Amino acid sequence: METTAQASDKRNPQRPLPVRQKRSWTTRIKKDRWLYVLLLPGLLYFLVFKYLPMWGVLIAFQNFQPFLGFWESSWVGLDHFRNFFGNPDFVRLLRNTFILAVYDLVFFFPAPIIVALLLNEIRVGIFKRFVQTMVYVPHFISMVIVASMTYVFLTTQGGVLHDLIQQLTGRSFNFLADPDWFRPLIILQIMWKETGWGTIIFLAALASVDVEQYEAAVVDGASRFQRLWHVTLPAISGVISILLILRLGNFLDNGFEQIFLMTNSLNRTVADVFDTYVYFVGITQGAFSYSTAIGLFKSLVGIVLIFGSNYLAKRMGKEGLY
Amino acid sequence: MKTSKGWKRKMTWLLSAVLVLGLLSACSSGNNGGGSGSGTGTGGESPGTGNGQEGTGETQEAPLKLSFMVPAFETELPSKDSPVLKALQEATNTDITMQFVPNSSYGDKMNITLASGQLPTLMVVDRNSASFINAARTGAFWELGPYLQDYPNLSQANPIILNNSSIDGKTYGIYRGRVLGRMGVTVNRDWMENLGLEEPKTIDEFYALLKAFKENDPDGNGKDDTYGIVVTKYAGPWDIMQTWFGAPNKWGESDDGSLVPAHTTPEYMEALKFFRQLYEEGLVNADFAVMDPAVWNDAITNGEAGVMVDVADAARRINDKMQDANEREKPYVNVFQAPVGPKGHRDMPTSGYANVIAVSKSQVKTEEELQRVLKFLDQLNDEDMQMLLGYGIEGRHYEMVDGYIHPLVTPEDVALSTELRSMNQMLMFIGPETPTLESTEINDKVTEVQALNEEIVVANPAEPLISDVYAQKGQQLDNIVNDARIKYIVGQIDEQGLEEAFQLWRTSGGDDYIAEINKLHQEAQTNS
Repeated sequence: METTAQASDKRNPQRPLPVRQKRSWTTRIKKDRWLYVLLLPGLLYFLVFKYLPMWGVLIAFQNFQPFLGFWESSWVGLDHFRNFFGNPDFVRLLRNTFILAVYDLVFFFPAPIIVALLLNEIRVGIFKRFVQTMVYVPHFISMVIVASMTYVFLTTQGGVLHDLIQQLTGRSFNFLADPDWFRPLIILQIMWKETGWGTIIFLAALASVDVEQYEAAVVDGASRFQRLWHVTLPAISGVISILLILRLGNFLDNGFEQIFLMTNSLNRTVADVFDTYVYFVGITQGAFSYSTAIGLFKSLVGIVLIFGSNYLAKRMGKEGLY
Repeated sequence: MKTSKGWKRKMTWLLSAVLVLGLLSACSSGNNGGGSGSGTGTGGESPGTGNGQEGTGETQEAPLKLSFMVPAFETELPSKDSPVLKALQEATNTDITMQFVPNSSYGDKMNITLASGQLPTLMVVDRNSASFINAARTGAFWELGPYLQDYPNLSQANPIILNNSSIDGKTYGIYRGRVLGRMGVTVNRDWMENLGLEEPKTIDEFYALLKAFKENDPDGNGKDDTYGIVVTKYAGPWDIMQTWFGAPNKWGESDDGSLVPAHTTPEYMEALKFFRQLYEEGLVNADFAVMDPAVWNDAITNGEAGVMVDVADAARRINDKMQDANEREKPYVNVFQAPVGPKGHRDMPTSGYANVIAVSKSQVKTEEELQRVLKFLDQLNDEDMQMLLGYGIEGRHYEMVDGYIHPLVTPEDVALSTELRSMNQMLMFIGPETPTLESTEINDKVTEVQALNEEIVVANPAEPLISDVYAQKGQQLDNIVNDARIKYIVGQIDEQGLEEAFQLWRTSGGDDYIAEINKLHQEAQTNS
């Protein structure tokens, strides 16, 4: 290896850069052909599974009939969008989706950060790892199980948690059927299930914080809280802002499975969100064009939010996504 | 060095080749999956071909290859080697690829299958679903009406049910016949005896029975741990009970002959007030709006509730389950007809059919092929095929005792019962009648109730009509009315809130729906 390294060192200064640029693209491809071959599967994946199906959104502007197929189905322009925005359901869906999304952002998003910061302050290694493992576990439980566990614990017909709360407060709460409890329940479920898993990335970011800065802060007489505020948080703020931007891109995704499982006749007024509506209209009623139009609207909102938040993050001097 | 470089190069080649191949094979295996799923015949096995040629008289004709999509009610289902399936293939000279789909998600799967264009030869479809109606109108399925008369069994199809299951007057699928008056009230027999209660003949007596089950300690354990009727998220029981009060079955005829939806009638309101009272007094389970229908029967078998309003044959299933736990001579439950209400003796019927079997044009290309497929469907109605798919193979799954069927399959022998599970979903029950299950007290009672029901069921005048508004917005419209009904029962809203919900129903498309149904109804009447 040494000889080749020396040889290239010797050769490099002699070779002028412009020669490289003169070479045609075919020779350049030939030179890096292995890299291109390695690139190929990824490229194919995105083309076949991401870009090709994208043409499917065109059925949002059609009255799509599966048997007639794409070419034979009639074009209806923006009819589906007009129907959707004019539908009395629209305002309700938009409100439910936004409120849940805001709750999610305000209550769930900071939760893993807080837990990660708490874990970071634990001194005893084995206890820290134990807690870490324990908070991961719910992530591996399926949402279906979480929903039925919620039902078993909270049902008014002998649910353990329901009975306990009834004894403590002297009141019977119908958590599952009361529309006021729907959103808190959804957020609590998701916090219980995903907070631990979410800490992983923040713990990784915390591990990279320079220890010298802490030592300097200690020498300067910073308290524990001051160290957290002035050293730890600024160090991981880049990670936080990137995750926030990514989260905003999926702002309107409320998690179909969870909401679908928790919906019933009594809380449907607050539980109907875009995701479940698309399922009811598209899959159970077979209105493919209409539900595609709704999906497209959702994606547009997602794109606007991603670009907007990325722009804001850069304005505030943080690292953006791109 | 040179060798190591060459080795590296080879490895690079190999790795990239593996990656590319992996990707390609992933694609192609996906395609294969779709192909065999659609059952174009790639899944056919050569041994099957041999069997068919030996087994039937028509020596030259190769077995008909077909795929059949049916709902499944169990998780473990017959395999390709099931003796029942083999016997069926041999008897009908076919090579069948079964596609079992869990009943709970059948609607979704059906819509997706219709959208994919990869249809099975035969599929059980919901005739009311918008996507089936669209697919039939755009020509995805054969119109079978003109052919039925050529087949000995299919020609015996009931014209009224054929009309009810048609689309724009055309038969795109052969209905799967069901008992018309199928509903019944299942009651815990011991509880009735403990309290000295008789069969509830009127709604007042029905109420008194529920009240006694809640308050008079019917199980005699000294604890207040029982209630009257168990209801779940599934709204069926409310629909049934409101017809007792005189509410129409979905659509009723008003004095001027026009059709009005059930929820606008005063009888509907009467029924709802009764339901609300049941809830207030704790005679129905407080968590019914969130309870999973999968555990519906459990409330009876565990001795929490005493009454269930559903199909009458539910009584048999509940009794079987209680007998499994603790076998005894006397049945655990009894089953009754609906109680008589203020407008006379009325009960909810079924549509007379449960979904239809449609023949796809993409798999069955020519009329000759269609005739073979129809011959197969006709054969399924023969007595021996009904017996085979319904009860299995004689001597293996059942035996005949005095002209009645005595099942040999026990719940413990899973392998044996798996062989015929959900196979009866292929049956249409048109034409010949088969022997019935052996006479037991509960079986006889179920048959008696269902036979008597025929006279009291209330028909839905709009049953054969197909509304485009409903096809588009039916789910939302139904949700508005059903949710309001539940909210009213549990006391979340009052009568004014109910009125507001009905108003919302009208503005969300309900008015158009009423207008369209009346228009279709008048057209149908002038035509006939």
